[in-house]
Amino acid sequence: MSAEPDKNFRLEQACATDDSIQQVHAQLQKTKPEKTGGYPLLPLGILGLMCAAVFFGSIYLAHNSIRFDPLVYNEHASRDKPGAQKIVPLTRAQLGKKVFDVTCIACHQANGLGLPGQYPPLAGSEWATGSEERVIRIVLHGLNGPIKVEGKDFNNVMAPLGEALKDEQIANAISYVRASWGNNAPEVTPEAVAKVRAETAGRKTYWTAAELEQVK
Amino acid sequence: MNSPDNNRTEQMEIDASAKWPVLFIFAHALAWLIVGGALELAAAIQLHTPTFLATCEWFTHGRLAPAASNALVYGWGFNAAFAFGLWLMARLSATTLRHGGWLFVAAKFWNVGVFLGVAGILAGYSTSFELLEMPRFVTFLLLAAYALIGVWGVTTFSIRNTENVFASQWYLFGAAFWFPWLYAIAQIMLFRAPVRGVMQPVVNAWYVHGLYGLWFVPVALAAAYYLLPKILGKPISNYYLAPLAFWWLAITTAFAGGSRLIGAPVPVWIPTLGTVANFMLVVPVVLIGLNLFGTLAGRYASLKGSVSLRFVFISLLAFVLASALNFAFSLRDVAEVVQFTLLSSLRDWLIFYACFSTAMFGAAYFMLPRLTGLEWRSPALVKIHLGATVLGTGLLTLGLAWGGWTQGHLLADPAVGFTDLSKAMTFWFTVRTGGLALLLLGHVAFLVNFIWIAWPFDSRHTAPAQINPPPALEVLKA
Repeated sequence: MSAEPDKNFRLEQACATDDSIQQVHAQLQKTKPEKTGGYPLLPLGILGLMCAAVFFGSIYLAHNSIRFDPLVYNEHASRDKPGAQKIVPLTRAQLGKKVFDVTCIACHQANGLGLPGQYPPLAGSEWATGSEERVIRIVLHGLNGPIKVEGKDFNNVMAPLGEALKDEQIANAISYVRASWGNNAPEVTPEAVAKVRAETAGRKTYWTAAELEQVK
Repeated sequence: MNSPDNNRTEQMEIDASAKWPVLFIFAHALAWLIVGGALELAAAIQLHTPTFLATCEWFTHGRLAPAASNALVYGWGFNAAFAFGLWLMARLSATTLRHGGWLFVAAKFWNVGVFLGVAGILAGYSTSFELLEMPRFVTFLLLAAYALIGVWGVTTFSIRNTENVFASQWYLFGAAFWFPWLYAIAQIMLFRAPVRGVMQPVVNAWYVHGLYGLWFVPVALAAAYYLLPKILGKPISNYYLAPLAFWWLAITTAFAGGSRLIGAPVPVWIPTLGTVANFMLVVPVVLIGLNLFGTLAGRYASLKGSVSLRFVFISLLAFVLASALNFAFSLRDVAEVVQFTLLSSLRDWLIFYACFSTAMFGAAYFMLPRLTGLEWRSPALVKIHLGATVLGTGLLTLGLAWGGWTQGHLLADPAVGFTDLSKAMTFWFTVRTGGLALLLLGHVAFLVNFIWIAWPFDSRHTAPAQINPPPALEVLKA
């Protein structure tokens, strides 16, 4: 290339022939840069860029295309399919059925009536639907000895379940009992269970009906 | 491989066969550049001085603005792309441009079509679709003329005498097919068998975006891919990435038009798809940047001595900037501000003028002395053209960006009345007029030099060009 710039403003000289440009580039097109130890950064970076573009593109498309619906003109429109059922979260009582069916059902039975003379009923029971403080204690530490339920006497042992079940499971199961078979008592929260568990942390033995009468 | 001397004579044959068709087409291109530039300037003046030409029905703003853009796009842009594309295709295919007489006919038809179209717009027969404003009767003329020219490019490629195909040829070959595809479909879907309602702006946006992205950008890239190794004597760096960039660019650009319709009452997936396509377009822009800026790396000193390279460099910067703007404007939060402002016109102007047109100037400074066998008579005029382009492009880019941003915020503020907005924008519209006037000055300088080199009677006193046989390109050792 000429040293005088003015000369180049009159005429641009070429520094490569056309056919050599083609030949060299045809060769270059086939040869990727040689690997000189380690990972070549450029191809990796490009691969990363391609993946990022496809990834963000897909997410954006999924969020803003609204099912490619020809009648939706606004990206803030509802994303649900027309006629789709809204997902309704299960109540504590509904969740508790699972715990009840595994843990309590053997004695108290699926209908909540227990076994006459053996296991007391839960349906209509003043213990089950009464003070949550009492019923939580029974589940946590078990119950031993005579107890009067719905005017009938029972004398049996209920195993402690505080170690086996988490607070949430206990709360769910009790809520299920308090809302089933005609029972209509407020549900019990895991926080309430945790509170009682903390208050009675030192207790190692079963409750008796007489002791529980002391708890309001 | 041929010896350099052989090579040179072969190229002289090619250049001789291409000389008159290409000069003929390029002369039309330049004429339209001046005419379109003048119309554009007049339309720009009306935005800050509304009384300018307001009493003349033919030059009211509603007619002047589309007439200017059509004259520039179809008059300057297409003719320049034809001239450069045919020459480069012949050069790289190592074959002469045969039966050039037909090209005169085709070019004449094209230019008569553009003339009738622009005159029709000024006379009040324009349609309401951006860049398709020309009255319907010229459509067939343009398409037929294009078919002839496009076929020439494609045939020249298909009878090539080379084993290998270079990146510039991919882009030219692709563009030769993409434009008729876009134009024919837009014409059918908007005029012959119009689609209904909101689909019309969708087709229009797709066409406008495609015209810029699949016609003007590929031709500009073809120029850059050719001129950089040709003038620097250095192969394109990381060339193995070029095919990936080409395909990725071609496929994603076709989907990107929807992003012009953000917030418009069209099915929301269309703008969303456009936005995603613009995300995707980051990849080819990075790859092309690696190719072209990678080739320039370490050789920026060569820019000083080469007017073609300087124009190509401006073109590359504009390509990257325009791509960044396309990306930014397809984000909904940004689009809220910039839509209907100077910024959205900046995006299209950057692609058409700062990227495509400057690439054509760069190519012309290289190509024309080879076609005519003469050198540019006045380096001073070359410098004026270059200086006007640098200043004008910089001024317009900064002015439209800053002004557009201000305008967008004022438009979005319900407390600002429209009169206040117009008053606040007067300064920026004046800046725009200044920038366009600068560019027009450069174009006139270029035209004078062109006449001295190409017009038979005026070029008699211009010195013949001493074209040195170039060396063969070698693969660089890393």
